[in-house]
Amino acid sequence: MSVIKIIPLQFSAVEELEKMLSIISRRFKMETRLSAHPFDMNPYFDPVRSQYNANEIIQKLVAVAGEENKIVGITELDLFIPVLSYIFGQAYLGGSAALVSGHRLHNSRYGLAEDPILYSERLLKCLIHELGHAFGLKHCLKPGCVMVSTTYVEEMDQKSDKFCQTCQAELATLTV
Amino acid sequence: MDNNLSILVVDDELSVRDSLSNWFIEDGYTVDTAEDAKIALKKIEAFHFHIVLIDIKLPGMDGLELNRRIKAINEDMVVIIMTAFASVDSAVQALKDGAYDYVCKPFDPDAVTHIIRNASQSIQLSHENLSLQDRIQSLVNVEDIIGESEGILNVLEQVRVVAETDSTVIINGDSGTGKELIAKAIHMNSSRRFFPMVTVHCGAIAENLMESELFGHERGAFTGAQYARKGKFEMADGATLFLDEISTISMKMQIEILRVLETKQFTRVGGNREFKSDFRVICATNRDLTTMVKNGEFREDLYYRLNVFAITIPPLRERVEDIKLLSEHFVKLYADQMNKGTRHIGKRAAKALRNYAFPGNVRELENLIERAIVIGNGDTVQLKDLPFEQNIDKPTWESIQDMEHHHIENILKKYDWNISHAAKALGVDRVTLYSKIKKYKIEKAK
Repeated sequence: MSVIKIIPLQFSAVEELEKMLSIISRRFKMETRLSAHPFDMNPYFDPVRSQYNANEIIQKLVAVAGEENKIVGITELDLFIPVLSYIFGQAYLGGSAALVSGHRLHNSRYGLAEDPILYSERLLKCLIHELGHAFGLKHCLKPGCVMVSTTYVEEMDQKSDKFCQTCQAELATLTV
Repeated sequence: MDNNLSILVVDDELSVRDSLSNWFIEDGYTVDTAEDAKIALKKIEAFHFHIVLIDIKLPGMDGLELNRRIKAINEDMVVIIMTAFASVDSAVQALKDGAYDYVCKPFDPDAVTHIIRNASQSIQLSHENLSLQDRIQSLVNVEDIIGESEGILNVLEQVRVVAETDSTVIINGDSGTGKELIAKAIHMNSSRRFFPMVTVHCGAIAENLMESELFGHERGAFTGAQYARKGKFEMADGATLFLDEISTISMKMQIEILRVLETKQFTRVGGNREFKSDFRVICATNRDLTTMVKNGEFREDLYYRLNVFAITIPPLRERVEDIKLLSEHFVKLYADQMNKGTRHIGKRAAKALRNYAFPGNVRELENLIERAIVIGNGDTVQLKDLPFEQNIDKPTWESIQDMEHHHIENILKKYDWNISHAAKALGVDRVTLYSKIKKYKIEKAK
């Protein structure tokens, strides 16, 4: 039976992730577990940009995912893809791996007081959003749906961690 | 999100092609990639892409040259130039060559989302523009004006002839004969059709407001003129100015209008600046202007200035053969609008319509049919659905004028001399009703 595996990659707040497992499991109706994996992030560091190359990390994750499982790497490091200045997360549509970064989800990054609850909520939305892509869902236009495309944390705070009815129905067909 | 737009990403770096195509696929776009200009051109010739993102530095032909080639193939294709080395010269050159936008790599996720959204809006607007132009062209086709009588066919032939010219047209016809429709047909079949037809209902504008309405006014020109305002002459620049009920304008305004028609120049009320406007004039009247000229009620010089090409629309009573066609047209129109299944006109109802004089002309017929559709049931308009059942079979009045006189009198009584309601019931405007009351010397019973 296939499972969703969440792999911390230089991510310290593992207890936060444990709280999210049951929610992610409910959203995708699939067993979700934390999984440790030895992973050296240094080869993916770009000294010019002082960021980590998400495309290359994902390719490495695909290799460890296995055919039936979905794997999500989660990190505190700052991610980029070559053409964009930063990303919150990355996944290939219908692929087996996804990657999420909490680096730009902290309030303190934007000169505001740190808010651990808000940070956790943002992280959960990112995880579900990227996993949604990995299951084959595209961006959604329905306000509030977790699959709405967001490029700022303020936008992320506007949406929920739930799928709209349309995305939920489509997900059901994709996870059969 | 399902987008019908297709995007081609042209970049020699595989990681950029992969990143961008993945980003766009997640947004629901159809995406293809090309690693150089040669492959890109092949793909563009084989498939219609809406948006092409091109890296400025490509092996062989560079992005700027590719942009020029694409524009030669399809001018409407949206090209966005990307570069890792921002240079003002190359950006300016790309935009001069027709590129839609220019972005520097790496760009913020928000920037690319905005550029693509703006580009897709621009494509959508351009499509809408084309489809609206098509709709405008088919809005008032001369062929769509209903009637097969000699009188109306003659009018339509005149419309065809005069539409292509820029001549001033005067449309004569009783109230309700469709003078505005004929004016629209002339406008829509002229070279000015992509501009609006600016209509002035001269009879409905108070004398003291007419000057400001036609010429516009500057701020502070009179009490209450808080803002400068364009007049109808100015609004009709490049378009058609339709002066309805031209016979109702005062002698003073006639002089002013004559001057503007001759020079196509005017000043706003309270201003000194001369404005020029290129407009074509079509006017309409239900009164005989030659008689008015003889009686000194209308300026002869303005009459001759307007009467370059005259079209006279015969009243409905003189083209009885059109009543059937028009009735059937209105039945279908209003039945569709009201979601009713009415499709036919009963024999007795058709006979009654044929025998009726229609003092309110086509407008009255239209109102009769609309009312019949509202109150009727079934798929056929019956005689009982028409409001003149008793009067039709046994005409009481000798002449049409007598009939009109008494009909107006009856309607006024019915609506307790409420002019607005009576005019609506008669299918004429209030000015016309007042002129008929004056003409027939109808007085309210004390």
